[in-house]
Amino acid sequence: MSGDIFGPTTIPVLQEVLSFSQARHGVLAGNIANYGTPGYQTRDLSVDTFQQRLKEAIAAKNEQPSYVSPGLMTDEPGDPLKNVSRNMSTILHHDGTNVGLEQQVTEMSKNQMLHNLAITIMSSQFRLLQAAVSERV
Amino acid sequence: MAPLTSLGSISTALPLSPGSSAAPKDASSFKNLLLESLDHVNSMQKDADLAVQQLVTGGDANPAEVLTAVQKADLSFRMMMQVRNKLMQAYQEIKDIRI
Amino acid sequence: MLSALDISTSALVAQRMRLNAISSNLANMSSVRNENAELAPYQARYVVLQTDDSQGGSQGAAGVKVASVETETVEPRYKYQPGHPLAIKSGQWKDHVAYPQINMTTEFVDALEATRAYEANIGVMEITKNLGLQTLRILA
Repeated sequence: MSGDIFGPTTIPVLQEVLSFSQARHGVLAGNIANYGTPGYQTRDLSVDTFQQRLKEAIAAKNEQPSYVSPGLMTDEPGDPLKNVSRNMSTILHHDGTNVGLEQQVTEMSKNQMLHNLAITIMSSQFRLLQAAVSERV
Repeated sequence: MAPLTSLGSISTALPLSPGSSAAPKDASSFKNLLLESLDHVNSMQKDADLAVQQLVTGGDANPAEVLTAVQKADLSFRMMMQVRNKLMQAYQEIKDIRI
Repeated sequence: MLSALDISTSALVAQRMRLNAISSNLANMSSVRNENAELAPYQARYVVLQTDDSQGGSQGAAGVKVASVETETVEPRYKYQPGHPLAIKSGQWKDHVAYPQINMTTEFVDALEATRAYEANIGVMEITKNLGLQTLRILA
Protein backbone atom coordinates (compact mmCIF):
# COMPACT_ATOMS: atom_id res chain seq x y z
CA MET A 1 0.00 0.00 0.00
CA SER A 2 1.72 3.12 -1.16
CA GLY A 3 1.07 6.30 0.68
CA ASP A 4 2.61 7.74 3.70
CA ILE A 5 0.46 7.44 6.77
CA PHE A 6 3.06 9.35 8.77
CA GLY A 7 3.05 12.40 6.55
CA PRO A 8 0.28 14.36 8.27
CA THR A 9 1.67 13.70 11.73
CA THR A 10 4.61 15.36 13.41
CA ILE A 11 6.68 12.18 13.14
CA PRO A 12 8.93 13.24 10.21
CA VAL A 13 9.70 16.54 11.94
CA LEU A 14 10.59 14.74 15.15
CA GLN A 15 12.80 12.34 13.21
CA GLU A 16 14.85 15.26 11.95
CA VAL A 17 15.12 16.67 15.45
CA LEU A 18 16.34 13.31 16.72
CA SER A 19 19.06 12.94 14.09
CA PHE A 20 20.20 16.49 14.76
CA SER A 21 20.40 16.02 18.51
CA GLN A 22 22.28 12.75 18.16
CA ALA A 23 24.81 14.31 15.80
CA ARG A 24 25.23 17.25 18.16
CA HIS A 25 25.79 14.90 21.07
CA GLY A 26 28.71 13.37 19.21
CA VAL A 27 30.27 16.75 18.49
CA LEU A 28 29.93 17.94 22.09
CA ALA A 29 31.34 14.68 23.44
CA GLY A 30 34.34 15.20 21.20
CA ASN A 31 34.79 18.69 22.64
CA ILE A 32 34.75 17.41 26.19
CA ALA A 33 37.12 14.59 25.33
CA ASN A 34 39.59 17.14 23.94
CA TYR A 35 39.29 19.45 26.89
CA GLY A 36 42.98 19.72 27.74
CA THR A 37 44.35 19.35 24.23
CA PRO A 38 46.50 22.34 23.34
CA GLY A 39 45.41 24.23 20.27
CA TYR A 40 42.03 22.51 20.08
CA GLN A 41 39.11 24.59 18.92
CA THR A 42 35.66 23.65 20.07
CA ARG A 43 33.04 22.86 17.46
CA ASP A 44 29.29 22.93 17.64
CA LEU A 45 26.24 22.34 15.51
CA SER A 46 24.29 25.54 15.45
CA VAL A 47 20.85 25.02 16.94
CA ASP A 48 19.47 28.25 15.51
CA THR A 49 20.42 27.36 11.95
CA PHE A 50 18.87 23.93 12.33
CA GLN A 51 15.63 25.33 13.69
CA GLN A 52 15.49 27.91 10.91
CA ARG A 53 15.95 25.25 8.26
CA LEU A 54 13.38 23.02 9.89
CA LYS A 55 10.86 25.84 9.90
CA GLU A 56 11.49 26.50 6.20
CA ALA A 57 11.20 22.80 5.36
CA ILE A 58 7.89 22.53 7.20
CA ALA A 59 6.56 25.58 5.37
CA ALA A 60 7.72 24.17 2.05
CA LYS A 61 6.07 20.87 2.74
CA ASN A 62 2.82 22.52 3.74
CA GLU A 63 2.77 24.55 0.57
CA GLN A 64 2.83 21.62 -1.73
CA PRO A 65 -0.06 21.71 -4.16
CA SER A 66 -3.28 20.88 -2.42
CA TYR A 67 -4.59 18.59 -5.09
CA VAL A 68 -2.13 16.00 -3.93
CA SER A 69 -3.96 14.35 -1.06
CA PRO A 70 -1.71 13.72 1.93
CA GLY A 71 -2.12 10.01 1.53
CA LEU A 72 -0.15 10.09 -1.71
CA MET A 73 2.95 11.90 -0.49
CA THR A 74 5.85 9.52 -0.23
CA ASP A 75 9.31 9.69 1.26
CA GLU A 76 11.11 10.87 -1.83
CA PRO A 77 14.62 12.25 -1.84
CA GLY A 78 13.18 15.61 -2.77
CA ASP A 79 11.23 15.69 0.47
CA PRO A 80 12.32 18.97 2.01
CA LEU A 81 12.38 17.56 5.50
CA LYS A 82 14.96 14.97 4.57
CA ASN A 83 17.32 17.56 3.22
CA VAL A 84 17.62 19.23 6.57
CA SER A 85 19.60 16.38 8.11
CA ARG A 86 21.62 15.63 4.99
CA ASN A 87 23.05 19.12 4.94
CA MET A 88 24.04 19.09 8.55
CA SER A 89 27.70 19.31 7.69
CA THR A 90 27.19 22.88 6.57
CA ILE A 91 26.06 24.04 9.98
CA LEU A 92 29.09 22.62 11.76
CA HIS A 93 31.26 25.54 12.64
CA HIS A 94 34.41 26.18 14.56
CA ASP A 95 33.66 28.30 17.52
CA GLY A 96 36.15 31.12 17.54
CA THR A 97 36.27 31.34 21.31
CA ASN A 98 37.45 28.38 23.27
CA VAL A 99 34.50 27.86 25.53
CA GLY A 100 35.10 26.16 28.83
CA LEU A 101 34.07 22.88 30.30
CA GLU A 102 30.96 24.18 32.04
CA GLN A 103 29.46 25.45 28.81
CA GLN A 104 30.09 22.19 27.01
CA VAL A 105 28.42 20.18 29.74
CA THR A 106 25.48 22.57 29.82
CA GLU A 107 25.01 22.35 26.07
CA MET A 108 25.10 18.59 26.37
CA SER A 109 22.41 18.65 29.08
CA LYS A 110 20.19 20.90 27.00
CA ASN A 111 20.69 18.67 24.00
CA GLN A 112 19.77 15.64 26.05
CA MET A 113 16.58 17.26 27.27
CA LEU A 114 15.59 18.13 23.71
CA HIS A 115 16.32 14.56 22.63
CA ASN A 116 14.20 13.06 25.40
CA LEU A 117 11.36 15.44 24.60
CA ALA A 118 11.39 14.48 20.91
CA ILE A 119 11.46 10.77 21.73
CA THR A 120 8.60 11.04 24.20
CA ILE A 121 6.36 12.91 21.78
CA MET A 122 7.24 10.57 18.93
CA SER A 123 6.48 7.44 20.91
CA SER A 124 3.13 8.83 22.02
CA GLN A 125 2.30 9.55 18.36
CA PHE A 126 3.16 5.98 17.45
CA ARG A 127 0.98 4.65 20.23
CA LEU A 128 -1.89 6.77 18.99
CA LEU A 129 -1.51 5.43 15.46
CA GLN A 130 -1.44 1.92 16.84
CA ALA A 131 -4.65 2.55 18.74
CA ALA A 132 -6.26 3.81 15.54
CA VAL A 133 -5.04 0.86 13.48
CA SER A 134 -5.84 -1.89 15.94
CA GLU A 135 -9.18 -0.38 16.96
CA ARG A 136 -8.22 -1.23 20.47
CA VAL A 137 -8.00 1.81 22.70
CA MET B 1 -41.34 -9.64 25.33
CA ALA B 2 -38.39 -9.27 27.62
CA PRO B 3 -35.96 -8.52 24.75
CA LEU B 4 -38.31 -5.85 23.34
CA THR B 5 -38.62 -4.01 26.63
CA SER B 6 -34.89 -4.17 27.18
CA LEU B 7 -34.48 -2.53 23.77
CA GLY B 8 -36.66 0.32 24.97
CA SER B 9 -34.55 0.73 28.09
CA ILE B 10 -31.41 0.96 25.96
CA SER B 11 -32.77 3.86 23.93
CA THR B 12 -33.83 5.80 27.03
CA ALA B 13 -30.48 5.11 28.67
CA LEU B 14 -28.65 7.06 25.97
CA PRO B 15 -27.98 10.40 27.70
CA LEU B 16 -27.56 12.26 24.46
CA SER B 17 -30.65 14.10 23.38
CA PRO B 18 -33.38 15.05 25.87
CA GLY B 19 -36.19 12.48 25.75
CA SER B 20 -38.03 13.23 22.52
CA SER B 21 -40.25 10.56 21.05
CA ALA B 22 -39.89 11.64 17.40
CA ALA B 23 -37.32 9.22 15.94
CA PRO B 24 -36.04 11.34 12.97
CA LYS B 25 -35.41 14.34 15.24
CA ASP B 26 -33.43 12.16 17.64
CA ALA B 27 -31.37 10.73 14.78
CA SER B 28 -30.37 14.11 13.31
CA SER B 29 -29.37 15.69 16.61
CA PHE B 30 -27.36 12.63 17.52
CA LYS B 31 -25.70 12.74 14.12
CA ASN B 32 -24.86 16.39 14.57
CA LEU B 33 -23.45 15.68 17.98
CA LEU B 34 -21.22 12.97 16.54
CA LEU B 35 -20.00 15.14 13.69
CA GLU B 36 -19.25 18.04 16.00
CA SER B 37 -17.27 15.79 18.29
CA LEU B 38 -15.27 14.49 15.35
CA ASP B 39 -14.47 18.03 14.29
CA HIS B 40 -13.49 18.92 17.82
CA VAL B 41 -11.15 15.96 18.13
CA ASN B 42 -9.61 16.77 14.77
CA SER B 43 -9.00 20.39 15.68
CA MET B 44 -7.42 19.36 18.97
CA GLN B 45 -5.06 17.07 17.07
CA LYS B 46 -4.14 19.86 14.68
CA ASP B 47 -3.51 22.27 17.53
CA ALA B 48 -1.28 19.75 19.26
CA ASP B 49 0.68 19.16 16.05
CA LEU B 50 1.13 22.88 15.55
CA ALA B 51 2.30 23.31 19.13
CA VAL B 52 4.88 20.54 18.72
CA GLN B 53 6.18 22.10 15.52
CA GLN B 54 6.52 25.48 17.20
CA LEU B 55 8.36 23.97 20.13
CA VAL B 56 10.80 22.18 17.88
CA THR B 57 11.54 25.09 15.55
CA GLY B 58 12.50 27.33 18.41
CA GLY B 59 9.29 29.24 18.93
CA ASP B 60 8.41 30.48 22.39
CA ALA B 61 6.44 27.42 23.41
CA ASN B 62 6.39 26.11 26.94
CA PRO B 63 7.27 22.38 26.92
CA ALA B 64 4.76 21.58 29.66
CA GLU B 65 1.93 23.25 27.75
CA VAL B 66 2.84 21.46 24.54
CA LEU B 67 2.94 18.09 26.26
CA THR B 68 -0.39 18.77 27.93
CA ALA B 69 -1.96 19.69 24.59
CA VAL B 70 -0.64 16.47 23.04
CA GLN B 71 -1.98 14.40 25.91
CA LYS B 72 -5.39 16.05 25.73
CA ALA B 73 -5.60 15.37 22.00
CA ASP B 74 -4.58 11.76 22.66
CA LEU B 75 -7.21 11.27 25.30
CA SER B 76 -10.04 12.79 23.30
CA PHE B 77 -9.07 10.65 20.30
CA ARG B 78 -9.15 7.51 22.40
CA MET B 79 -12.50 8.42 23.86
CA MET B 80 -13.90 8.97 20.36
CA MET B 81 -12.46 5.58 19.41
CA GLN B 82 -14.21 3.95 22.32
CA VAL B 83 -17.52 5.65 21.46
CA ARG B 84 -17.12 4.37 17.92
CA ASN B 85 -16.46 0.83 19.18
CA LYS B 86 -19.54 0.91 21.35
CA LEU B 87 -21.64 2.17 18.47
CA MET B 88 -20.39 -0.64 16.24
CA GLN B 89 -21.19 -3.10 18.99
CA ALA B 90 -24.69 -1.70 19.39
CA TYR B 91 -25.22 -1.87 15.63
CA GLN B 92 -24.10 -5.51 15.60
CA GLU B 93 -26.51 -6.34 18.36
CA ILE B 94 -29.40 -4.62 16.61
CA LYS B 95 -28.53 -6.33 13.36
CA ASP B 96 -28.71 -9.70 15.07
CA ILE B 97 -32.25 -9.20 16.22
CA ARG B 98 -34.37 -11.81 14.62
CA ILE B 99 -37.77 -10.65 13.76
CA MET C 1 13.10 26.38 31.12
CA LEU C 2 16.23 25.50 29.24
CA SER C 3 17.52 29.04 29.71
CA ALA C 4 17.80 28.30 33.43
CA LEU C 5 20.73 26.05 32.55
CA ASP C 6 22.44 28.95 30.80
CA ILE C 7 22.03 31.14 33.85
CA SER C 8 23.56 28.52 36.11
CA THR C 9 26.41 28.08 33.68
CA SER C 10 27.21 31.78 33.72
CA ALA C 11 27.41 31.57 37.50
CA LEU C 12 29.75 28.58 37.29
CA VAL C 13 32.06 30.43 34.93
CA ALA C 14 32.07 33.56 37.10
CA GLN C 15 32.83 31.64 40.30
CA ARG C 16 35.62 29.74 38.60
CA MET C 17 37.22 33.00 37.48
CA ARG C 18 36.92 34.26 41.03
CA LEU C 19 38.63 31.14 42.29
CA ASN C 20 41.38 31.66 39.72
CA ALA C 21 41.99 35.18 41.00
CA ILE C 22 42.10 33.93 44.60
CA SER C 23 44.55 31.17 43.78
CA SER C 24 46.80 33.59 41.95
CA ASN C 25 46.73 35.85 45.04
CA LEU C 26 47.67 32.99 47.33
CA ALA C 27 50.37 31.75 44.99
CA ASN C 28 51.96 35.19 44.87
CA MET C 29 51.85 35.84 48.58
CA SER C 30 55.56 36.35 48.79
CA SER C 31 56.31 37.72 45.35
CA VAL C 32 58.59 40.68 45.71
CA ARG C 33 58.71 41.49 42.01
CA ASN C 34 55.65 41.99 39.86
CA GLU C 35 55.09 40.44 36.41
CA ASN C 36 57.35 42.94 34.66
CA ALA C 37 60.22 41.94 36.99
CA GLU C 38 60.13 45.40 38.55
CA LEU C 39 60.74 45.82 42.18
CA ALA C 40 57.10 46.37 43.06
CA PRO C 41 55.39 43.77 45.23
CA TYR C 42 52.43 41.82 43.94
CA GLN C 43 49.07 43.53 44.34
CA ALA C 44 46.01 41.38 45.00
CA ARG C 45 43.54 40.91 42.17
CA TYR C 46 39.84 40.53 42.49
CA VAL C 47 36.99 40.07 40.06
CA VAL C 48 34.00 42.36 39.81
CA LEU C 49 30.79 40.43 39.19
CA GLN C 50 27.86 42.05 37.47
CA THR C 51 24.30 41.02 36.69
CA ASP C 52 23.92 40.10 33.06
CA ASP C 53 20.50 40.58 31.52
CA SER C 54 21.44 39.15 28.16
CA GLN C 55 20.86 35.56 29.21
CA GLY C 56 17.41 34.22 29.86
CA GLY C 57 16.16 37.75 30.33
CA SER C 58 12.83 37.09 28.63
CA GLN C 59 11.13 36.19 31.88
CA GLY C 60 13.09 38.53 34.08
CA ALA C 61 15.78 36.07 35.12
CA ALA C 62 19.34 37.30 34.77
CA GLY C 63 22.70 35.64 34.69
CA VAL C 64 26.00 36.90 35.99
CA LYS C 65 29.13 37.99 34.21
CA VAL C 66 32.58 39.13 35.18
CA ALA C 67 32.67 42.86 34.54
CA SER C 68 36.40 43.26 35.07
CA VAL C 69 39.42 42.01 36.92
CA GLU C 70 40.72 44.78 39.15
CA THR C 71 44.04 45.12 40.89
CA GLU C 72 44.23 46.53 44.33
CA THR C 73 46.53 49.34 45.23
CA VAL C 74 47.44 49.05 48.88
CA GLU C 75 50.56 49.79 50.75
CA PRO C 76 52.89 46.81 50.74
CA ARG C 77 53.96 45.06 53.91
CA TYR C 78 57.41 46.05 54.95
CA LYS C 79 59.73 43.59 56.63
CA TYR C 80 62.98 44.55 58.27
CA GLN C 81 65.75 42.66 56.49
CA PRO C 82 68.94 44.76 56.47
CA GLY C 83 71.11 42.24 54.62
CA HIS C 84 68.63 41.54 51.83
CA PRO C 85 69.89 42.51 48.35
CA LEU C 86 66.52 44.01 47.47
CA ALA C 87 66.13 46.06 50.62
CA ILE C 88 65.19 49.69 50.21
CA LYS C 89 68.22 51.90 50.26
CA SER C 90 66.87 55.10 51.70
CA GLY C 91 63.80 56.85 52.95
CA GLN C 92 61.38 56.04 55.71
CA TRP C 93 61.56 52.31 55.04
CA LYS C 94 65.32 51.93 54.89
CA ASP C 95 66.58 48.34 55.11
CA HIS C 96 63.07 47.00 54.72
CA VAL C 97 61.88 44.71 51.95
CA ALA C 98 58.40 45.28 50.47
CA TYR C 99 56.19 42.20 50.47
CA PRO C 100 52.63 41.88 49.16
CA GLN C 101 49.89 42.77 51.58
CA ILE C 102 47.70 39.70 51.17
CA ASN C 103 45.59 38.44 54.01
CA MET C 104 45.59 34.68 53.77
CA THR C 105 42.53 34.28 55.96
CA THR C 106 40.43 36.60 53.85
CA GLU C 107 41.50 34.88 50.66
CA PHE C 108 40.71 31.47 52.08
CA VAL C 109 37.25 32.50 53.24
CA ASP C 110 36.58 33.95 49.79
CA ALA C 111 37.69 30.70 48.24
CA LEU C 112 35.30 28.78 50.46
CA GLU C 113 32.47 31.10 49.49
CA ALA C 114 33.25 30.68 45.79
CA THR C 115 33.32 26.91 46.21
CA ARG C 116 29.98 26.85 47.97
CA ALA C 117 28.47 29.08 45.29
CA TYR C 118 29.83 26.73 42.61
CA GLU C 119 28.31 23.71 44.33
CA ALA C 120 25.02 25.50 44.86
CA ASN C 121 24.78 26.30 41.16
CA ILE C 122 25.52 22.72 40.23
CA GLY C 123 22.72 21.68 42.58
CA VAL C 124 20.38 24.07 40.80
CA MET C 125 21.36 22.55 37.47
CA GLU C 126 20.51 19.10 38.79
CA ILE C 127 17.10 20.34 39.84
CA THR C 128 16.50 21.93 36.44
CA LYS C 129 17.40 18.72 34.66
CA ASN C 130 15.11 16.80 36.99
CA LEU C 131 12.28 19.21 36.19
CA GLY C 132 12.77 18.53 32.52
CA LEU C 133 12.66 14.78 33.05
CA GLN C 134 9.57 14.96 35.22
CA THR C 135 7.79 17.11 32.63
CA LEU C 136 8.07 14.23 30.20
CA ARG C 137 5.92 12.17 32.51
CA ILE C 138 2.90 14.13 31.35
CA LEU C 139 3.00 12.00 28.25
CA ALA C 140 4.51 8.74 29.35
